Amino acid sequence: MTTIIINGSEYPIPEGEKLNAIQMAKRVGIDIPYYCWHPALSVVANCRMCEIETGSKDPKTGEIKMMPRLVPGCQTPAKDQTVLVTNSPKVKEHQRMIMEYLLLNHPLDCPVCDQAGECGLQDYSYHYGQASHRFVEERLVNPRKDVSDLIQLNQDRCIMCTRCVRFTREITQTGELEVMRRGNHAEIAVFPGHTLDANPLAGNVVDICPVGALLDKDFLHKQRVWFLSKHDSVCTRCSTGCNITAEENKGRLWRFKPRSNPHVNDYWMCDEGRYSYQAANDPGLLAAMYVRTNDDLQEVPVDEAMTAVDRGLRQVLELGGHVAGVLSPFLTVEEAYLMARYIKGLNPTSVLALGPVPSRGSDVTIKPDQTKGRTGDTSFIVSRPFTIHAEKCPDRQGVEAILTHFQGAVITFEELSRRVAASEFQGLYVASDSIDPWIDEAASRELRSHVSFLVLQDTNVTPLAHLADVVLAGATFAEKAGCYVNADGRLQYAGAALPPREGALPDLDLFAILLHRPGGPVRSGEVLAELAEAVPAFAVARGGTVPVLGTLLGSSASADGAARAVAFTDSWYVPQGAARSR
Amino acid sequence: MRADDPKLMRIEPPKLTLAERFFLPQIAEGLGVTGRHVVGVAFQKKAITVQYPEEQHVPSPNYRGVHRLNKDEHDRIKCVACMLCATACPAHCIDIVGASAPPSWPDREKYPESFVIDELRCIYCGMCEEACPVEAIELTGLYDLTGLSREQMIFDKTKLLSVFDATKDAEPMKYAAPPPGPAPETKMLPSPLD
Repeated sequence: MTTIIINGSEYPIPEGEKLNAIQMAKRVGIDIPYYCWHPALSVVANCRMCEIETGSKDPKTGEIKMMPRLVPGCQTPAKDQTVLVTNSPKVKEHQRMIMEYLLLNHPLDCPVCDQAGECGLQDYSYHYGQASHRFVEERLVNPRKDVSDLIQLNQDRCIMCTRCVRFTREITQTGELEVMRRGNHAEIAVFPGHTLDANPLAGNVVDICPVGALLDKDFLHKQRVWFLSKHDSVCTRCSTGCNITAEENKGRLWRFKPRSNPHVNDYWMCDEGRYSYQAANDPGLLAAMYVRTNDDLQEVPVDEAMTAVDRGLRQVLELGGHVAGVLSPFLTVEEAYLMARYIKGLNPTSVLALGPVPSRGSDVTIKPDQTKGRTGDTSFIVSRPFTIHAEKCPDRQGVEAILTHFQGAVITFEELSRRVAASEFQGLYVASDSIDPWIDEAASRELRSHVSFLVLQDTNVTPLAHLADVVLAGATFAEKAGCYVNADGRLQYAGAALPPREGALPDLDLFAILLHRPGGPVRSGEVLAELAEAVPAFAVARGGTVPVLGTLLGSSASADGAARAVAFTDSWYVPQGAARSR
Repeated sequence: MRADDPKLMRIEPPKLTLAERFFLPQIAEGLGVTGRHVVGVAFQKKAITVQYPEEQHVPSPNYRGVHRLNKDEHDRIKCVACMLCATACPAHCIDIVGASAPPSWPDREKYPESFVIDELRCIYCGMCEEACPVEAIELTGLYDLTGLSREQMIFDKTKLLSVFDATKDAEPMKYAAPPPGPAPETKMLPSPLD
């Protein structure tokens, strides 16, 4: 067995992984401070913060030979019989000196800096630095500048770790950012006319910046990060299903941040997804349930609307008509399951169809190259491609799996529209929750003219809403909890960040009311457990729980390699204090 | 502390004399104090109470009354919207909306677009004043805080700045200029290695 000795204790090294000293120490609960190292970027070892004492133990004699100087931990491979010392006075003095050096020109503007509260400099200054400042010369002042329309660079806060430069060179391979000038005057800059605007992953440079140099202008000066409650969720903007934290305060979302998941999004998320949080704050969202009386939509309480839905659909069936349900790919699998059960429960001959699947452009895959464009040591990197899918909905595969289970085949929305036009159905129940407008005026009229009873469950006001008999206000992506199946067939749980807005109810509750489920508000975990029992495709979710990194449908949980993958979060982004338990 | 802690010391109450047990001398002494006050108020103008509202009481300089938002020498609000007062506030009565400062303020990055204090919710502890890194929020000596509705008692930025205008002469800013004197002495820190 290969072992490593860290601070006098011997630990086994995990097999089949190439780890550096920082990663290895982290696995056994010892923190080595670092700034410039990032698991997806090449090692340049330029911040010098992670320097530790290293040595090796002779396996025969047991003699330990230490290197005379400190060595960067990010560059030190965790090999058999390596000796690491991270807490000696020599290391501590070095960390203190590096902190003092990094803070030489750093302005004391933490009160107005957006990074404060999740800042590597603040945290490490507290843990490894000193309270006083010996530098008596004037600090360098650099004007702030824009590196794109959405990202601001406060150069005087920068510590030149070059994480952002390496990100644009190595991950997106667009190379917008560079280091200009040298030494004390070095600064990050964009090439003239070549800003980050065209980069679909530009927002990530803000996340990987360990200090407050690169800031998101969308979030700039709006909130302090310690006021935000973070909720683990999944981005619904495309079928990649990036893992995110939805950060909320005062009843609205303020930002999305990517959450590391090696199986899905690695450490990144695209800008389109990043700013899609704004849809949940839209003041124009449906804010009440409506029922058509005397040819006019009247606002009614939830229970009346639900009775109207049930009565209307049953009336259609009693008169010998047929009912169809449209399950949008924005529904969670739990919601889709309950809806399918309700529609099929009305009458087994009822038809279920998949809602319109929005698609824009083509899939964009960003494939980091292990060899090209790299600035430093790449031997610790596991590069994984990142794909932005053209399919702009989170759960097509999940809904399709449920439709296949209930009726053997998936009926597309186009096919359903044709069959509606042929007057095959008299009752129609459409659950949409789409973020974008999904139906136009003409299509709405066409759909409406062939059915006698139309229920629409949505979050936005669409042309179809004005024509429906009952309009139900469902929950936005931020307001509902449940699981989505992404493009790779990975089942992932997304928690609710906000409570349902006034006048609306989470779709899961709406379906639960229609199904007369006992026991008050329904929990998505209970429904998922039922779904796992009922639909074999979802057998991995037995018990109603999904692992943090998700699980592939049709796999057994252990064969997924879930044990191998380790999510990574920079220590300064880990919630601290009261935020940890929120 | 446990009941059998060796550091605990038991003290017996002192034994009372016969006169003390009758309480008559103490009653006489107490009446004497009252009498002195009566004589002092009636003949020597030594009253401690004041004839409010005709007469206004001036509180001590560290009295904590209504808040004010200080202005700098250019008549701009001093606050930089760092929200540390709102963070420190135990009553959660401060609500700030921050925004990027206008370009005509080159020395500032951020300012409060809105600054609201619920004076009814406030417990006047002074933590906001203590947390403020730019001495922008201060508690004044104003104590006669009245209003006809709850809404009136929610002070916005304009009102808090007007409190500054009303009180700046009587109570100058506690830290108008940077603390006088040379920069704090700089010296080498002892190295932990030695």
